[in-house]
Amino acid sequence: MGTAGSEPRGPRGVRVTQEDVRRLCEFLYRRTGMLFDDNKRYYIDRRLVERIDATKSGSFPAYFALLRSDADHEIEQLINAFTVNETYFNREEHQLRCMTSDLLGNVIRGKRPGESIRIWSIPCSSGEEPYSIAIWLMENWRLVDSYNIEIVGSDIDTRALKAAGEGVYGARALMRLSRDVIGRYFQPVADGEHRIDPGLRESIQFTRANLIDSSEMARYRGFDIVFCRNVLIYFDDSSRRIAAENLYDCLAAGGYICLGHSETMSRISPLFRVCRFSDAIVYQRPESDHDGR
Amino acid sequence: MPFVKRDVTARPPAGGRPADDAVHADLAPHLTALGSPDIEVRWSAARALGGRTDAVPALTTALGVEQVARVREAIMTALMRVGDEASVVALLPYLRSQDAAERGASIEALQALPGAMLPFMAPLLADGDSDVRLLATELARNMPAEDATQLLCRLLEHEQHPNVCAAAIDVLAEVGTRDAVPALEACAERFAGTPFLPFAVSIAIARISDTDR
Repeated sequence: MGTAGSEPRGPRGVRVTQEDVRRLCEFLYRRTGMLFDDNKRYYIDRRLVERIDATKSGSFPAYFALLRSDADHEIEQLINAFTVNETYFNREEHQLRCMTSDLLGNVIRGKRPGESIRIWSIPCSSGEEPYSIAIWLMENWRLVDSYNIEIVGSDIDTRALKAAGEGVYGARALMRLSRDVIGRYFQPVADGEHRIDPGLRESIQFTRANLIDSSEMARYRGFDIVFCRNVLIYFDDSSRRIAAENLYDCLAAGGYICLGHSETMSRISPLFRVCRFSDAIVYQRPESDHDGR
Repeated sequence: MPFVKRDVTARPPAGGRPADDAVHADLAPHLTALGSPDIEVRWSAARALGGRTDAVPALTTALGVEQVARVREAIMTALMRVGDEASVVALLPYLRSQDAAERGASIEALQALPGAMLPFMAPLLADGDSDVRLLATELARNMPAEDATQLLCRLLEHEQHPNVCAAAIDVLAEVGTRDAVPALEACAERFAGTPFLPFAVSIAIARISDTDR
């Protein structure tokens, strides 16, 4: 039951109760896989009240109805309020470690030196992730020169792609990189910003792609590893199913897909096999229809 | 640099497969491909037919004979993308499947179609099979609160199976309105000898009452 006296109120005097928050958390978990427990109560209350105020809903019931109908893309707004939207180099580093310690070893089993390894970052936002993948491979994979590695970064947002192509980043984006690495792969430009090494910048192809557009996605095939982080949580159930099938087609047989930390493909689609490695859980397109099904 | 760059956008789709873009494509080749002995061809055909109303009869037939789980999944997604009453009719029989994965897949597809599902809900919730009634309560979860409340309250008034009641109560706790309180209270009274149900009802009423101010 609610205890109105201690609960946050928005500028319009909106209050939320414990039961409101539980209802919201169950909905969010079912809808997105994001899990919030009681020790984050104050954090949730604050953001929930902010969204109720921002949408002028006036009360939790009215806001919850808005959220459930996903009018005005409110689910996206709410998720944004609950998540860290900024991206930076080497975000979710454990997946990059997993790539070099486990995934690539399996990928090259079926390849000869000199053959291609294809890696896709979608959505790639302003390029931090594909560049991180390239730098990580240069720094951490001893076989990096033995294969032709193709890295593609795609996003639906053409402004983000333009920024990715320019490759200029501020200090916050580089905060996880050592000074040595920054020195090797970036050049300082004005106002404390750094520009990615031109050779690296020219090595990565940036393209526009929409995950739920099957005809557009048909151009992308044969990827060995796909990084697809923190985007499926924004989709509704039917879009997620379509995206999962599109991603399946984009992967080579036996290829891997890395999702964001709050996402699980098994909640979305049975098409993929769960693979637990020491650094990360990733999903694999089975080698055949009799493999893992 | 060990990296190579190719023009991804110039790369044609894999040869020999039907294109995924169904919007401007002819229907006939895809319908034929649904019966191909090649799994990849059937998979691509099912994907290409997503959202095509005129393909629903063929997709329905294909779903009835398809043995490969991946292709069955794609056919269900294709029907979901059509999303009309005919596609709901095609998906409904799989709620009765003995295969849990198949039941799950049909539930997920049908949940994405709350508008088209609505006319089918009352008969489903009155079905002679308690498993079907239980799954139907889950289908109400994505419906507008007023519709879900009305449907589930009607179920609770007569439902004899405690597990079906529990499933309905769980959905009402999330999406129900205050109008559900009388039906919930009556259910708790009727199942007083089954302690978990009055407990579940008390939680649902607390949430509904507290929220629906």
